[in-house]
Order: sequence, then structure tokens, then C-alpha cells
Amino acid sequence: MRQLLPIGAIVAAAVALGAAAVLTREPVTPEDRVANRPIQVSTDGFVSSAACKACHPSQYDTWYGSYHRTMTQVATPETVLADFDGVQVDDVHGEPMRLERRGNEFWAEFNDPGAAGPESERPRITRQVVMITGSHHQQIYWYATGHDRALNVLPGVYLIADDRWAPRSAVVLHPPNQSVSTVDGHWNAVCLACHTTFPRTRFDTPFLSEAIAEQSVDTTTAEFGIACEACHGPGDEHVRKHRNPLRRYGGHLGDRPDPTIVLPTRLDPQRSSQVCGQCHSVWEFRDAAAERQANARGFPYRPGGELRDTRFMPQPTEQRRSPELAAFVARDPAFVTGSFWPDGMIRVSGREYNGLIDSPCFKHADDPQRTLSCFACHTMHKAPDDPRPVAEWADTHQVARGMDGNAACAQCHPAVADDAAAHTRHAPDSAGSTCYNCHMPYTSYGLLKAIRSHTVSSPSVAETVAAGRPNACNLCHLDRTLAWTGAALEDWYDLPTPRLTEDERTVAAGLLWAMRGDAGERALTAWALGWAPAQAASGTSWMVPHLAELLNDPYEAVRYIAYRSLRTLPGYAGVDYDYVASREARVAAALPILRAWQNSALSRRRREPELLVDADGRMRIDEFRRILHQRDNRPLFLRE
Amino acid sequence: MPADGRHPLGYARRHLRFGWWSLLVFLTLGFVLELLHGFKVGMYLDASNETRRLMWRLAHAHGGLLGLVHVAFGLCLRVAPELASRRLSATSACLVGASFLLPGGFFLGGVAFYGGDPGLGILLVPAGAALLATAIYGIARASAALEAMDRTPAGQGGGKRRR
Repeated sequence: MRQLLPIGAIVAAAVALGAAAVLTREPVTPEDRVANRPIQVSTDGFVSSAACKACHPSQYDTWYGSYHRTMTQVATPETVLADFDGVQVDDVHGEPMRLERRGNEFWAEFNDPGAAGPESERPRITRQVVMITGSHHQQIYWYATGHDRALNVLPGVYLIADDRWAPRSAVVLHPPNQSVSTVDGHWNAVCLACHTTFPRTRFDTPFLSEAIAEQSVDTTTAEFGIACEACHGPGDEHVRKHRNPLRRYGGHLGDRPDPTIVLPTRLDPQRSSQVCGQCHSVWEFRDAAAERQANARGFPYRPGGELRDTRFMPQPTEQRRSPELAAFVARDPAFVTGSFWPDGMIRVSGREYNGLIDSPCFKHADDPQRTLSCFACHTMHKAPDDPRPVAEWADTHQVARGMDGNAACAQCHPAVADDAAAHTRHAPDSAGSTCYNCHMPYTSYGLLKAIRSHTVSSPSVAETVAAGRPNACNLCHLDRTLAWTGAALEDWYDLPTPRLTEDERTVAAGLLWAMRGDAGERALTAWALGWAPAQAASGTSWMVPHLAELLNDPYEAVRYIAYRSLRTLPGYAGVDYDYVASREARVAAALPILRAWQNSALSRRRREPELLVDADGRMRIDEFRRILHQRDNRPLFLRE
Repeated sequence: MPADGRHPLGYARRHLRFGWWSLLVFLTLGFVLELLHGFKVGMYLDASNETRRLMWRLAHAHGGLLGLVHVAFGLCLRVAPELASRRLSATSACLVGASFLLPGGFFLGGVAFYGGDPGLGILLVPAGAALLATAIYGIARASAALEAMDRTPAGQGGGKRRR
């Protein structure tokens, strides 16, 4: 008996250790028992990415590493990037926000955005952060409101690269002194549509038609983030039928399409692009009945179907006289001006489908093999022979291998690409001979930066004059006038130069956009001033006073971008400035920058009247102020 | 005595030889797989090659274990030649066949494959599994007969010990 004692002790110790491990483990609440946030439910034939992994490990892996997957996440220690450990955040709407960790939970104390009165005088509330939007540039944190599964947003947004918080209004291009929307249920009604897979809002009535507190909110989704079935359609039938190995090997050895699943790359260019367009476009419900139906039963679009049958998609270039667009504009005039340039071209990021379908390579193409589609340049699964790490592929917008250069256009225009310099009149290896730079310039705005236009177009001074949109030539040659560009385009391509004003003939286009453009133009110009090809083409010595001026732009987003560009200039990397500080503090930060530049040799390097510098190297302050007074101060909220 | 009249010790030598060489081959395969890990070779380690990794690991494991089965069977035949039933030749052939088909099928299944599905080489595996089951059944039956022989007194018509 005594011999058994050591064995008994070992067994008892093992049992005790096991019990301790089980008892001290953080409890995991099953998804169907979570009550304070939207939940993931497999329904309507959706089975989630977990069912895809076993048979498609490569595709699963590259999707898993993409930002599509992490577009929406439950707040956990693994997913929350900001520090919540007893932190006070000053840069938020209202009084400072206090953040706290409670075990694996994240809590915040802040002024109730739903209460009436000035932001800083609203009652303080403490709420649990339960969901996150974004993982690439920003993280937006959503708290449980306590009313069913309705969510609302914290008053600050975490900027990942800067490791800092900013007020919500300061991370979008939003008019100063206008409050941003913070309504309970905002995520459930708006964000989930494109940030989750097969969402169902499950409100009783269309959003904002009744107070959220008066209705039930039972929001569900098949999967958080953009998962397999967002693009391939519901997978239940595919999974069931492919349990049979004979069917699987029949598919492997044959080339017949599989009717149980949608492969977007096998659809025609129109339908395949619509798969992306279901989220990367401007759209609205056709009417309240359609919204009610989507609320209850989910969105009716399925990959492979006709997208326009399921929603209204504004496209001003085609629908100028359509009653549907007129009704849309009447409901929300600022939405159209906040999404499109005056000539109808899309001007915000995340709506690339609107740009694609306006492109001649798409709308004038009559051969499916030579029709532009999203998949002409992008790939949703990194190819096995692509040597780039998944993270690098994801960071470069999931552009397919080799499609980040002229090879993309050479697919249909090989002769032009073979002798690019003859077409571009620029050095073959220069930024001016890159197809993208001239035909997809950075004229869209989003995420505090400029994004390439996805409307393939040719540089045009006429479009700049008519719509205000910066043209590709002057986005690089910021120091040249529109007249200079017009003369070059006329000489090289027989493009007539439109009638130009005195300023357009004599002042550099970059200066005009930065000083008198609308907030969107100023943001794009501020970005271009920090863009390496533009700095190489235009020089940088003249840029400081203009960026210093933009540091005091009324729009926070413009100031943020100007500061980032300023730091790219030689000698300015260490400049200290806070784009959400008070006006006095910002002026105090900008003045020394300006003075130092004036006192340096840099200020006398470019003595050109189009840069508003006289022959003695002095800035023409009167001209500067005159043009600044022409600034387009109409409120602009870009709906990225 | 087996139907082919071959002496059980001949089979014992055959399986011992086969088993040790088999172990050498599949332990070498294991060494190669470790090298592929060590040098982080994408064609083995990338997520897109997960099926290859699984198949080759299975080939390594099955080949190694079957080598041990051969060694054990050879030793058994030496220690207890009574195991040599009339079907010894068939049992031996099945065991050898399984040792080619099972690991070979897994290995070929990982050479070319379809996403999460192995290549067509995997079709050898069920055939190998059937041969292995047949061989093990034959050995199990022979060992049962051995037990019966042990219970029968010598010289009473029971099995005659072969030495």
C-alpha cells in the first residue's frame, strides 16, 4: 500500500493541475449566448470560412492574411491595437475619454454622444467596447449600447501608424464645426452592409425612421469581415455535395464549371466586377420596402447575379436626367457632392466600382477577353507562385504579381507599353512613363490620403477647369501652370487648351489647388506635395510655405496630410505639430517653420512668378492672400 | 509448412531484411522532411502546400511503422515458426505489397495534389490498406492456431513443433 503512495500523489497533483487550468481559464461565451452585440449565425446557406479551410488551404491562408478578413472583428486582446490599460485620451469629442482593461474586456468612459447639449457637458457613461472596424490604417471601436445588439461608436478613433487617437471628425474629410453622426445602431444599419458577410440588420423599421430605443435590434451576420461567401456566395450546397470524393475528383480532373459555387474570375467582366462592386460602390436602397426586406432577410444580391437589380447605384455621368437620381439628390444633396466630382467622376475611396464602369476600357470594350475588370489587376488570393509574403501582398492593395506597373495595361495595349517613352514623351524609366500615373492619377480621397482614380482617363486641362479635379500632369508638375500643361498636351496629343483665367495662366496649378480649391482638392494637393515623383519633378525648395499654410487649413484632414507631407521634405522630418490642437497652438507651430524657411537659402532657390516669388526671392504675400481669399469654403464632407 | 514449401526461416530472413531496409528508406525520408523544415522550403511548408506536407508525413509514418511490423514479423517467425501457416506466402506478399502501396500512395498523393485533396496516387492507399488488413488477419489467425497447439499435448495428433 505504501508503495502506491507516490503514484497516488502524482495522480492527485496532475488532477489538481488540470482542475486549476480549467477553473482559471477565461470563460468563452458561445456566440449564440452573446447578447450585447451582433452575432455570427450560419443561416440561409451560409456556412462560414471554417468550412472552406480544409479543402482550400491556400485560398484560406491568403484571405486570412488580408484586410478583408479583419474589416470587422470582435474586440479581444488579440484584435485591439490601442492601449486600453488605464489610459486617458484627450483627443476626442467631449471631455477626455478614459480607457480600461477588465480582464479580457475593454471599457471606456466618455460623454454620452446620444445626449443633448454641448459635447463636453453631456453625461458621462461607461460602456464595454465589443467590436472593431478596421485593422490597416485605423481602428474604430464600437461599444455595446445596452439596447439589444445596437452599437455606437467611441468619440475617438485610433490611428494605427501614428499610434495616436484623434476625434472621429478628424479622421475623415469633414466640415469643421459640424458634428459627426453618432446614433445608436449606426453600425448595425450602415457599417455591417459592407464590413461583414451576409448581414441582417433586423431592425423593425428602416434606420432612423423610428427611435432606435423603440424597436428591437437583433443584428446577425454569417461572418464578421469580408469572408469567402461574400464573393463566392453561400457555400452550404457546395460543401454538402463535395463531401463525395468522386464529385471532387471529377471536378479536379475535368474543366466543367461547378454550379454549386460562384468563381468570380470565371464570370464575365461585368458580373465579376459587380462582386467587388457590391461594396466598392455608392449605392442606396431603392425604397423603404427594399430596406425593410434587407433588414429582415439580408441583402438580396448574390455573387453572379445582376447587382443593379438589387439596389440603386448612382452614376451621375450616365444618369444626369434620371428621376431616380433626382430623387436621390433631393433626399441627400450632400451625398452626391460628397462622393462625385462635379462632372460625375467618383472622388472618394472605397467606391472603385463607380470608377471602373466609367472607364473606356470597361464601357467601350466589346471583347470579354479585353474588358477591364477588377481582376485584371487585383487578386483576392495571392497566387502560389507569387514570391511576396502574404502581408506584403495585402499591404499593396492585393494587386496581382507584376500588375503594379505597366504590365497591367500591356495586357491590352502591348504596343504602347513596349515603347512607352514614344507615347508619354517622358524618360522610359521615369514616373512620367508609368501608365498609372497619367491614366489613374491620385484624384480620389480616403483614409487621410490620396487614392488612385479607378476611372481610367487621359490627362486633361479642360476637366480640371470644368470640374476642379487636379490633372495628372500637374499632380507631378505642381510647380507648373495649367497653361504650361495645356501647351504640352496640345503639342503632343492635339488636345485643345480651354480658355484659362489669368491666374490659371500665370500661377502654378499646385498653388491654386492648395489655396483656392475645395477641401478635397486641398487634401489631394497636400498629399501630392509629399509624393516622391512630384517632389522629383517639381523640386521641394518652394513647398514649405504652402504646406505651412495648409497646417492651418480649416479642415483637420487637410492639416493632417499637410503635416505628413511636410515631414517628407529634407530637414523637416522632426517638425513637432498636432493637427487637432487649438488654432493658436497650430499657428505657433507653423510660424517658426515659415520663418526658418524664409531665412534659409531654400527660399531664394526658385524665383519664379508662377510660384508667387519675385525676382528678389521674396514671396508675393499680396498675391498669396488674394488667391487664398478665393478659397472654396463650401462645406464638404467626403463620404469615403 | 507454407503452400510454396519455403521454410519459415526463409520468410523470417526476408521480412527482417525488408523491414530494416524499409526503416532505412523511411527514416531517410524523415531526415529529408526535417531538412525541408530546416531550410524553410516553400514547396513543403507554404500554406498552399499543406496537403503535400500531410501526405509526406503520412508516407514517412506509415513506411516507418510498416518497417517495424516487418522486423517484428520476421522475429516472430524465428522465435515461433509455428506461425507459418499454409497461407504464409500470401500473408508475406500482402505485407510486402502494403509496404509499397501505403507509404507510396501517400507520397505520390503529395507530389501533385488539388488544394485540400491529394493527387491520384492516393488511390494506392486503400489497396495498400486492404493488403495490410489481409496480412494482419493472416498473422492473427496463425497466432490463434499457435495458441491451440500449445494447449494440445504433444504426440496427441496436435501440431508438431518444427525446429
